[in-house]
Amino acid sequence: MTAPPGPTVFVVDDYAPGRRSISRLLRAAGFVVAAFASAQDFLVQYDPAACGCLLLDLAMPDVSGLELQTILADKGSFLPIIFLTAHGDVSTSVRAMKHGAVDFLTKPVNDEDLLTAVRVAIEKDRALRREQAELFEIRERLATLTPREREVLEYVVAGKLNKQIASDLGTVEQTVKVHRAHVMQKMKVHSLAELVRLTQRCGMSGR
Amino acid sequence: MSWIIILWSMNAAACLTLAGIYLLVWCRQRTDWAYFVLSCSAVAGAALTAFELALLEAQSAEDYAVILRWAQLPVWAVVVSVVIFVRLYLRAGRLWLAWSVCGMRTLALILNFVFTPNLSYRQITRLKQVPWWGGQSVSVPVGVTNPWILVAQLSLVLLIIFFVDATVTAWRRGDRQRALVVGGALIFFSAIAIGQVVLVVWGIIQVPFLACFSYLGLIAAMGYELSIDMLHRAKLARELAASEADLQETRERMELAANAADLGMWMWDVARDDIWITDKGRMLFGWGASEKLDLDRFKNVLHPEDRERVLEAIENTLRTGAEYAAEYRVMLPEGQPRWVAGWGQVEFDRDGHPVRMRGAALDITKRKQAEEQFRLVVEAAPSAMIMVNTDGCITLVNTQAEAVFGYDRQELIGRCIETLVPERFRCHHAEYRNGYLGNARARPMGAERELFGLRKDGTEVPIEIGLNPIQTAEGLLVLASITDISERKQAELEAARQRSELAHLSRVTTLGELSGSLAHELNLPLGAILSNAQAAQRMLANGETDLAELREILNEIVSEDKHAGEVIRRLRLWLQKGEVQQHSVHINKVVRDVLKLIRTDLISQNVIVNIQLARNLPVITGDAVQLQQVLVNLVVNASDAMADCDIAERRLLICTKAKDCGAAVIVSVTDMGGGVPEEKKEQIFEPFFTTKDKGMGLGLSVCRRIIDAHHGKLWAINNADRGATFHFTLPVNLSQKDGLIARSQIVDE
Repeated sequence: MTAPPGPTVFVVDDYAPGRRSISRLLRAAGFVVAAFASAQDFLVQYDPAACGCLLLDLAMPDVSGLELQTILADKGSFLPIIFLTAHGDVSTSVRAMKHGAVDFLTKPVNDEDLLTAVRVAIEKDRALRREQAELFEIRERLATLTPREREVLEYVVAGKLNKQIASDLGTVEQTVKVHRAHVMQKMKVHSLAELVRLTQRCGMSGR
Repeated sequence: MSWIIILWSMNAAACLTLAGIYLLVWCRQRTDWAYFVLSCSAVAGAALTAFELALLEAQSAEDYAVILRWAQLPVWAVVVSVVIFVRLYLRAGRLWLAWSVCGMRTLALILNFVFTPNLSYRQITRLKQVPWWGGQSVSVPVGVTNPWILVAQLSLVLLIIFFVDATVTAWRRGDRQRALVVGGALIFFSAIAIGQVVLVVWGIIQVPFLACFSYLGLIAAMGYELSIDMLHRAKLARELAASEADLQETRERMELAANAADLGMWMWDVARDDIWITDKGRMLFGWGASEKLDLDRFKNVLHPEDRERVLEAIENTLRTGAEYAAEYRVMLPEGQPRWVAGWGQVEFDRDGHPVRMRGAALDITKRKQAEEQFRLVVEAAPSAMIMVNTDGCITLVNTQAEAVFGYDRQELIGRCIETLVPERFRCHHAEYRNGYLGNARARPMGAERELFGLRKDGTEVPIEIGLNPIQTAEGLLVLASITDISERKQAELEAARQRSELAHLSRVTTLGELSGSLAHELNLPLGAILSNAQAAQRMLANGETDLAELREILNEIVSEDKHAGEVIRRLRLWLQKGEVQQHSVHINKVVRDVLKLIRTDLISQNVIVNIQLARNLPVITGDAVQLQQVLVNLVVNASDAMADCDIAERRLLICTKAKDCGAAVIVSVTDMGGGVPEEKKEQIFEPFFTTKDKGMGLGLSVCRRIIDAHHGKLWAINNADRGATFHFTLPVNLSQKDGLIARSQIVDE
C-alpha cells in the first residue's frame, strides 16, 4: 500500500453490512475509505506512513479491537483510533480511552457524531504528522551546527551572557558573538526567544 | 320203685320247677300277669300228674272213682288258667269263647260233684290190671260211662276252637312266631290229651289217663315262647341301655360342640313361662347357675334400644310359627354390652297354642366389632368409598362419598351404581362391571382413561377409582375407593402455570445476563440501517446520482431491517409468557436459533463453537422457546466454565443424535472447563444452587423442570479428559416415530 496523498479512514469490522454502510457514509462525506473484515487483514496491509484514522469494531472474533489497539501501539503507530461498537460497557470504554483512543462510539451512530469524530481524528493525525515534520526539520538544522556552535547554543538557551560563555569556554567574547550569529543563521531564527522555543520543542535543554 | 312212679314224679317235679321259675319271673315283673297265670297252671299240672299217678296205682274201683272225681279240680284249674294265659299272652281269642269254655268247665266241675261216683262214670264195676313195659301193670277202669261227661268234653272242644281262633287272630295280626309256637303247641298237645281222655272215658281204648305229659309239653312250649320273650326283652334292655348311652354321648357331644361354638341352647316353656338354658347360655347372658329364668328376666338383660325389636320378633314367632331370629345387645353387669344372635323355633299344641320355643344363642360381639370396625374404617377413609354387589346395587357408602356425589346415604343405598356414572359412559359401564366380576382383583379402574362421576346436581367431577373385591357370606362385593381429583387437577394446572412462570422468570434473568449480547445483536442492523440511510442522504445532498449505489443501499436497509425484526421477534418469543406450547420441534433448528441468539456473547468470550447435528432427526413435540432456554443455559454455563481457560482451549461442542432406535433424540453440550465436582452432580440441578458469582442458581433447576415436563431427562457427566458434558433426551411421540422409521427405511433403500 502506497501512502495515499490525502488522509484515509481505515474501517475494520467483521459485520459486513455495518462495514459497508459506514464506508458508504464516509465516502459520501468525502473521505477516502479502506475497509477490512478483520484485524489480521488490516495488519497485513498496514502502512505506518498512511495518514488518516482507524474506525475499529470492538467485538470481533480471533483478534478484538482492543487487542489491535495494543498491537499498533507496540508497533509505534500513532494512527488515531475511534472505537465503534454495538454494545460497550464502561470498563471496556475506559480501557480503550486510556490507551489513547480518540473516541468511543456506539452503533447505531449518528452521521454527524461519526464524521466529527473522524474529522477530529484526522485533524489530530495531521497535527501529529505536522509536529513530527517540524521536529524533523529542527533536528536537521541542529545537525548542521558545529560542535562549538552547539555548545554555544546550549549556553545561550540556558540564558548566559556572551561574556560568561566566553569565560566558561575559555575564549574571547568576540568569538562567542561570531558562533552565536552562525547558530542564529543556521537555525533560521531571528530572535533569542525563537531559538529557545525551537530547542525546547525538540527536547533540548540548556546548560 | 317202678319206672312209672319215677317218670310221673319227674313230670310233676318238672311242672313244679316251671311253676317256681314263672312265679319268680312274675315277682320281678309284677305287671306281667301271664307269668303268674302260667305258674298257677304249672302247679295245677303237677297236681294233675299226681292224680294220674294215683289212678295208675289205684287198688280198688271205689278208690279209683274217688280219685277220678277229685282229679276234676286240677283239670278245671288247668283249663281256666290256660284260657286266661292265652288271652293275656296272645291278646287274642274271642272273649265269649273264653267265657263259654270257662263256664262249661265250671259246670262240668259242679256236675262232677253232683253225680256219684263222678262225671266220667255212672259206675265203675271193676279195675282191670293192664300189663306195661318192664313187667309193670297199671289199673284201668271198667264201668258205665256217664253221658253228662259230654259237658266236660264239649268244654274241651270249645277250648280247642278258642285256641284255633286265638292262633288265627295272632297270625293275621302278624305275630306269626308267637302264634305258631304257642297256638300250635296248644292245639297240638290239647288235641292229643283230649283225644286220649275221650277214648279212655268211652272205653274205646284200655289205657290209663296220660294227659299230664301232653300238658308238660304244652307248658314247655309256652315256657319256650316266654323265655324267647325274656331273651328278647333282655336284648331290648341291653339295646336300650346302649342307646341311652349313645344318647347321653350325643348329648354331651352336642353340648361340647355348642360350647365350643359358644352356642347357648335354650328352651322356653311358654305356658309356664320357664326358661331352661345351658350353662354356656347362662354365661352368655350373665345369669347365675341356679337363677330361675323367665321372659321378664330375659327382657331385663336386653339393651333398651333392642328390647322392643326382640320382643316383637318373639311375638311374631309365637303368632305365626315363623323362625325366630334376632341380633341384640345384652347388658352385662360390668363391661361392654355383648352382641348376641338368637335363633329359635316354636312348637304348638293341637289347638295351635304355642307350647314351647327351643333355640340357641351365640355371642357375635367379635363379628359385630369387626363389622363396626369395617364400617368405621370405611367411614374414616380419606376417599369416598362405595360398596357394590354383583348386581351393581350400592350396599354401603361413607360420608366422603356423600360429599363427592352430593347424595344422602339413604338415597344411594340400594340404587344402581350407574346412577353415579355420567350418561355418556353409562352404556359401557355395566359391561366393564361384568368384565371386572369375571376377573375380580384389586386394581385401579380405567387406567389411562380419565374418569368422571355424576353428581346429584348433574355436574361432573373428575375422579380416580380403585377397585377391591371382597368375598363375603352374601357373595362377592366390590369396594370402590373413589378420590375426587378436581383439586389435584387444579394443582397440576397451577404447578404447570408456576413452572411456566418460573421458566419465564429464568428467561428474563438470562436475558439480563445476555443483555449486552442482545443489544449488540439489535444494534448491529440498526447501525447499518442508519449509516446506510445517512450515506444516501449525503449522496443526494451532494448531487450524486449513482443509482446502482442507491439501490444497493436500499436493499441493505431492507435486509438489515428484516434482520433487526428477526432479532426482536426472537426476543419477544424469548420473553413471551404463558402456556407451554406443544408444537412439532426440529431440535437442530433450536440449536441454530440459540447460537444466533448468543453468538456475540460467545465471540466476546472467545469461545469457539463446533456443532455436529445429525441429519434426519425425528421431530419431537414440545415448546421450542423452552427448549431454546435449556440450550442457552447449557451453552452459557459451558462458556462461563471455560472463562479461566486459555483462549485457544475455549472450545464448545454441541451434538444432536437419535437415540433408542429413533424413540428419542439426545442433545449434548460439551465444554473444556473444570468439570462438575462428582458430589455436586445432582446438586447443581437444585434451585438456588450456583457456583457463579452472579446468577440466582435457577438456570439448571428450571432446565430440569422443562425437560421433565417434556418427559425427557437432563443429566451431567464429567468427560474423560477434561470438562463436563450435559445431556438431555427428548422422547419422540409414537406416531412420529413410526413416520421416522418409515422415512429412514426409504432412505436405506
